[in-house]
Amino acid sequence: MKMEDMPLSGPDNTKLEALVHDIYSELVEDACLGLCFEVHRAVKQGYFFLDETDQESLKEFEIVDQPGVDIFGQVYNQWKNKECECPNCKRLIAASRFAPHLEKCLGMGRNSSRIANRRLASNNNMSKSESDQEDNDDLNDNDWSYGAEKKAKKRKSDKNQNSPRRSKSLKHKNGERRIQTSEYNYNTGINYETLGPDEVRSFLTTQCGVISEHTKKMCTRSQRCPQHTDEQRRAVRVFLLGPSATSLPDAEAVVESDSFDIPDGQTLMSRLQWEDSPDISPADSASSKASTNHSDSRRPKKKKRTPLSLNAVGGVGGGGGGGGGVGNVTGGSSSSSSQSNISLPTKKKRPKLPAPSISSTYDDLN
Amino acid sequence: MSKDTKMRATINQKLTEMGERERLKELLRAKLTECGWKDQMKAHCKEVIKEKGLEHVTVEDLVVEITPKGRALVPDSVKKELLHRIRAFLAQHAS
Repeated sequence: MKMEDMPLSGPDNTKLEALVHDIYSELVEDACLGLCFEVHRAVKQGYFFLDETDQESLKEFEIVDQPGVDIFGQVYNQWKNKECECPNCKRLIAASRFAPHLEKCLGMGRNSSRIANRRLASNNNMSKSESDQEDNDDLNDNDWSYGAEKKAKKRKSDKNQNSPRRSKSLKHKNGERRIQTSEYNYNTGINYETLGPDEVRSFLTTQCGVISEHTKKMCTRSQRCPQHTDEQRRAVRVFLLGPSATSLPDAEAVVESDSFDIPDGQTLMSRLQWEDSPDISPADSASSKASTNHSDSRRPKKKKRTPLSLNAVGGVGGGGGGGGGVGNVTGGSSSSSSQSNISLPTKKKRPKLPAPSISSTYDDLN
Repeated sequence: MSKDTKMRATINQKLTEMGERERLKELLRAKLTECGWKDQMKAHCKEVIKEKGLEHVTVEDLVVEITPKGRALVPDSVKKELLHRIRAFLAQHAS
């Protein structure tokens, strides 16, 4: 005990000391009362006994410490392995892949329409020589075929390459988009080397047959294919079948030669002087699409025919016609327009062609 | 006697006016909580409440039960500290 605490003076101090104690007592009582009020309020409000729960509740909310489970006892990847059955295709799909699968399966959503359009476009590329249009429709409608999707992706490069060409062909065909430029149609061209002469002949009677410079394949379009001129077709026939063995023009040549016999030598002469030909004859006015110049429609046939007809007729003009054909130089004066229609291949082939015929006709004449 | 009473009144007044009383109160509460007196008292309260029933316990019941026990359970160190402070105040401000 400290000396300070002890009262120093006598009677006053006792009073003072009593006072001190009184003050102290007051303070302690105050503290007790405060506690009582606090507890009483807690009891009446109902939060006094919160820390005391029964055993059953304690067990229920106990912290879980098992592997594969969180502290509340829940499994976190419960839905990972669940599979859902697609209402459209009846397949079992993993839950996390279900939404994208539905998008494609039902054909809704941005991606699926994009893919479908792409497939449609690339199917157009390959549709010409492949399966029927009906098959293609089936393929396009069935969004569900993965194979077609893969094909579409592979052919995408083809589609891109072809687009300028395709728009060109669109003009001719009035929006019919199924027809594809034959030159780019790698799978559908015919290689003339593989065909026998009879096959070539039969092929050439029905189809264009012009050999593409890029691929060395023959065009499989019709005789009126806009891609190639009649001149080209004639040249190809000559090239493939030989100068005297052209199938199509042969038949017509026979007919036409008969018809020209009548008009006779004068017209023949005038015709023969022309470079390329006697195309412009009043009798023959059939025009095909290919010819861009005036009434040069039947040129290929006529051109081929001229030497032949000359051979058949044996007229004087025959050699002239052949000579006119050879000499582009001489032809300059006459129909220059027709001259412009001569493409290189024909130019090359022409000299060979008329040369023997010229010699033969002259021989005949002589 | 009246002098004594007067003196007491004066000191009390001073104690309150100067804020010493509040300070002492806070000091006491802190010390009692620190030494565990409060928890002890609360446990005793629970017994009383269980005895009397949760619904029917009144403030008076608690006061009557708690106060004497509380007074007795105050640790000596706390008591001494407080007495010291009161005396110091009196010595300082007594007329």
